[in-house]
Amino acid sequence: MTATEEHVQTSGLGFVGQSVKRVEDEWLLAGQGDFVADRLPEGVAHAAFLRSPFPHATIDSIDTSAAKKLPGVIAVYTGAEVNANTNPFIPLIMLPDMYTPLFMPMTEDKARFVGDPVAIVLAESRYIAEDALELIEVDYTDLEPVATMSQARNPNSPQLWDKADGNVLHDGSKVYGDVDAAFAKADHVFTETFSCHRVTNQPMEARGTVVEIGQDGHLTITSTSQAPHAVKWAVAAMTVTEKAGRNFRKFWRMKERRANFKAARKAFLKEHMPAIRSQDRSGQKHQNKRENPTKHQLKMAMGLLASEDFPTVRAGDIGGGFGSKGSVHREEMALIVASKMANRSAQWIEDRVENLLDGGQAREEEFTMSIAIDDDGTFRGLKCHFDLDYGAYPSFPIGGALTQGMIRVYMPGPYRFPVFEFTSRMMATNKGKQLPYRGPWANETWARERIIDIAAEKLGMDPLELRQKNMYAAEDFPTKMVTGPTLDVTMSCKGTLDRAVEEVRGLDLDAMRADAESRGKKLGVGLASYHEAAPGPPDFLDSVTPGNGMLANEEARAVIERDGSIKMYTSQSPHGQSHATTYAQVVADEFGVAMDDVEIVWGNTDTSRFSFIGTGGSRGGPIGGGVMKYSAREAREQVNELAAEMLEASVEDVTIENGNIHVAGVPARGISYADVAAEAAKRKGSADGPAFEVVRDYRGHGDGGWSVATHVAVVEVDMDTGQVDIPKYLVVEDCGPIINPKIVDGQVRGGVAQGIGMVLYENLVYSDEGNPQATTYMDYLIPTAMEIPEIDIIHLETHSPGENDFRGVGEGGMIGAPAALTSAVSDALGVQATDMYLPPTKILEMAGVIDPD
Amino acid sequence: MKNPPFTYHRPESLDDALALLAEHVDEAKVLAGGQSLLPVMALRLGRPEHLVDINRIPGLDQIAVSDDGVSIGALVRHVQAERSDELATAAPVVHAAMPYIGHRAIRSQGTVCGSIAHADPAAEMPAVCLATGATMVATSADGVREIPAAEFGEGYLTTALAPTEILTEVRFPAWSATAAGTVVEVARRHGDYALVGLACVVDAPGGTIESAALSFFGVDNRPVRIAEAEASLVGKSLDDMAAFAAAGDIVKSTIEPSADVHATANYRKHLASVLTRKGLAEATSKIGAAA
Amino acid sequence: MKIEVGSEIEVSFTLNGEARSASFDPRRSLADVLREDCGQTGTHLGCEHGVCGACTVLVDGAPSRSCLMLGAMADGKDITTVEGLATDGVFNHVQQGMWDAMSFQCAFCSPGFLMSTMALLEENPNPSEEEIREELSGNLCRCTGYQSIVDGVMASIENLKQQGGE
Repeated sequence: MTATEEHVQTSGLGFVGQSVKRVEDEWLLAGQGDFVADRLPEGVAHAAFLRSPFPHATIDSIDTSAAKKLPGVIAVYTGAEVNANTNPFIPLIMLPDMYTPLFMPMTEDKARFVGDPVAIVLAESRYIAEDALELIEVDYTDLEPVATMSQARNPNSPQLWDKADGNVLHDGSKVYGDVDAAFAKADHVFTETFSCHRVTNQPMEARGTVVEIGQDGHLTITSTSQAPHAVKWAVAAMTVTEKAGRNFRKFWRMKERRANFKAARKAFLKEHMPAIRSQDRSGQKHQNKRENPTKHQLKMAMGLLASEDFPTVRAGDIGGGFGSKGSVHREEMALIVASKMANRSAQWIEDRVENLLDGGQAREEEFTMSIAIDDDGTFRGLKCHFDLDYGAYPSFPIGGALTQGMIRVYMPGPYRFPVFEFTSRMMATNKGKQLPYRGPWANETWARERIIDIAAEKLGMDPLELRQKNMYAAEDFPTKMVTGPTLDVTMSCKGTLDRAVEEVRGLDLDAMRADAESRGKKLGVGLASYHEAAPGPPDFLDSVTPGNGMLANEEARAVIERDGSIKMYTSQSPHGQSHATTYAQVVADEFGVAMDDVEIVWGNTDTSRFSFIGTGGSRGGPIGGGVMKYSAREAREQVNELAAEMLEASVEDVTIENGNIHVAGVPARGISYADVAAEAAKRKGSADGPAFEVVRDYRGHGDGGWSVATHVAVVEVDMDTGQVDIPKYLVVEDCGPIINPKIVDGQVRGGVAQGIGMVLYENLVYSDEGNPQATTYMDYLIPTAMEIPEIDIIHLETHSPGENDFRGVGEGGMIGAPAALTSAVSDALGVQATDMYLPPTKILEMAGVIDPD
Repeated sequence: MKNPPFTYHRPESLDDALALLAEHVDEAKVLAGGQSLLPVMALRLGRPEHLVDINRIPGLDQIAVSDDGVSIGALVRHVQAERSDELATAAPVVHAAMPYIGHRAIRSQGTVCGSIAHADPAAEMPAVCLATGATMVATSADGVREIPAAEFGEGYLTTALAPTEILTEVRFPAWSATAAGTVVEVARRHGDYALVGLACVVDAPGGTIESAALSFFGVDNRPVRIAEAEASLVGKSLDDMAAFAAAGDIVKSTIEPSADVHATANYRKHLASVLTRKGLAEATSKIGAAA
Repeated sequence: MKIEVGSEIEVSFTLNGEARSASFDPRRSLADVLREDCGQTGTHLGCEHGVCGACTVLVDGAPSRSCLMLGAMADGKDITTVEGLATDGVFNHVQQGMWDAMSFQCAFCSPGFLMSTMALLEENPNPSEEEIREELSGNLCRCTGYQSIVDGVMASIENLKQQGGE
């Protein structure tokens, strides 16, 4: 059974479905947050990095002697000194035949972008650390910069990475179906090239790390990380300094550990063998021929096996991330190494200029799209050539390879494209690193929706009707996208499209146009649709990166202590998504208790289970929330069983209301969680440990499915100034049942705001010489309350039959907005936009009001 | 992003402050509101050895209105000017500029004179001074010097103010009863420095334009007046939109703005002509309304 | 007064109603003095060049960028930070309004918005939505798209009215 209905604010008796006020605000609004910069342990050293002022240069010599002498300076290390104490970052997710360099926390021989860290200072204050930076003498020899993708494609350009084949790190293709035949048969083929500009995630809190060294040498690392477990393992592996053989012998002597490892390894291989076999390791082979990471891998692996002390990585409150804090960052690793070298606890709090130089950059991509289409508007096929500007260094562990894979798989979108061809290249350039940014594949929606608008215009068809005609509808399911993933009833994009079209038809556009015209403005309407695998069908991630679906796994731990208190441990690393509230809602409903009766615990790798991704990819609701629900539900079942015994009733008759565990209909004779926990503890025999403990995992159970939406933008373009107003913006979305409507609305609106920013204001532009031009907030323009309009949202709610029906909404706003907005501007001007960035100058150029310089 | 070291001076009198500037000359900077100076220092683009904090000096925080015009002292904050009803009457175009300057919190601390002395080519106040024929009062240990606005700006962030001088006061001449003025600008975002802006003053006794001042900012390394466009307006009526458009065309062909990451030169030329039309229409409508 | 490089300035001011004094390098920003020398880390640094507004505090009631003031300039002033808004752990009208409206997500920017809203409502207890947006345009939020923050200001106004009516 499926039902699509308007979302109702409250869903029955439980907390789920209600806009419960945020638990987090109790400390955040009081100014009592625990952000990384607030962590100032006694005697902490403050770090600052000397960064290359050149986009491309060799480093000939470094003299740190004057800096070391400055009073208040604790230590100064060059890149070479730091790197001598670490292993390189080793590629994890790769594309077939893609060259991904081994790279180090700092650079020592060659600066590859403006901002490349060359030396690190630890000092008594950040002020003194910055003074010391000015005393470090570095001799550089300028190299010709590779600032654009076309320069990167030029075989005569100097190489960023000596062992690569030029600066094109990847050049590949994938064909789904008989594309040539389909294109030959179609009535028309329309082709256009689209360009997207470089932007940056820009959370309001920049990155930061605090390393505390315990008396026993144990490291406690506080990081602004979306994925603390990735930091933990990367630090453990990369800081192994002893030789492999020595650690291996040490491991060999640890008999119990050896046995445990052997058993764990066997179990893992048994479970994941098909996935491991399906992984494409040709990238690795390509790598091995040139850089031989094997010796590093062996060294790290042996170090991990023998290590008796893994770092604790904790995350307190985090001030946003939008993907940029999902990476393990070079500076973070350099700080940890420097802190160990100096044997001083240390803090690096990134400043805004650093963040604009290398805090994370994304979306500088080009698309050449060809659509094969019949006279009646039926889609016959799609081709896409994709180029990505990778920047200088890879992002670890998730970077360009995953972006490419997602763009490939998503590109046909919610439409019936029977065949698809995808070719792609990735170019290394002398710029900050590319990494995932909120819907890392989002440009795919933009490029596809643009070519659909253009096809509609060429055929003289209504672009809304053209979409309705070609979009998968309920009667098509189940089916598969041409690129692989399964589509089921939750891919209800058509429902959002139909509703959005209805809303557009309800507007008196003629009157609105005339009114705008009278004020010297032109009105336009644009619409865009997308579907998002949040959490996606089980075959989604394996379609993107074969064999790596297991990376999406997430576990949670439900604990009922001996006093009956309930603690839920999540591996998520929330940074604005309100997990403490939404998870408490979900779990309280499962346990039949008040929200105050459950404690959501996050942000410590010692107490949470391993999660590779942590918070990202719209996982918090469906996957993190789903596994909360599974583990709570199972713990509740165990409680029910014991309570049934205690109440001398059958399990089916036991019910829990507001913490009162009783036989249905007899609430007066109920017992409490404390009673049941005490009984469980008594029966356990052992003196410590919780009364109940359940660990459950999420392995793409297939519940949840797709999150979908259609966005509508109505714009007014001022023909005098080229400024764009947005008198109406509407999102019709379907993320299934909603845990907390206001929190969902906030996610949607925040995403749309970033999409508006990207199209109209934000541009992380580099000069043709590779110099960054937007290094402060005077030049990188984040929209304010005056630029972002009210955003209307209509929720539809399609149910899937699974155990867990939550779907993600973190990224969608950002995916739909650029497409809807550029479509609306194109409609207003009567000119199809092929660049995503539409500042006033570009608008007036498109309108023919001014000429380019 | 932290300030470099400096010796901090906090004189209690103007004489003491001037003596410090005389002693340290190029190595000293005056700190009033700090809203332009401190970010430059935090970015380490400027590193004065001595910072002379004049905030404790009495008597510099006055807006004085007399028959001769208006005087604004060195420590008058933007917000003080913004809220001064007297200023709104005595120097309406100065008052009109205030809401465009940064954001509320910047205007709390930032000073009118500081904005003028900083001389950002895209800032409002230097252009307003140029449009109104203001006089800068520069005080040093050697005495007081009056600098006409037309001679004050010398280039990008550069003025005629000597390192030993403090801009203690800016004086605006008495406002003509038959004049009206306005500030119009377009910025990328609300509160940003203007892509192009115009401070414009029109005097039209008897309903005919007798004089017009068109002072543009964001189009050169300092504010500029376009004399030919101003002259073209003399004798025109208050609703002569064609004349305003023609003046805009003159402006467009005269200025030589540069391109940056926010806009091209052609865009700025076009915008200057648009703002000429809009500014003149707005200013003349005020005269019309008053009459 | 003259403080040489390497020496400290002694500064006294009122912080959230309490007399405080501190000694520090005169180049330190007011934000760093509040956060590190006074241990009041509720004020946040987002850009340190005066654009993002996260560090906004009230100086003698006026909303001011604490990153664009020296700690030395606070001498003798009355400073209010986010920590000074609640009374005995009970949120004031603006905190409560923002909580009710679920205004924030990561809330890193929230101290600035709270202080800017305090100043706005002090000066204009009944602003229009346009006035609210204009006044708050000096504060950047990357999470919310601002609508929920504007709602929070509206809710704060209602709270204020109710308090006034009591």
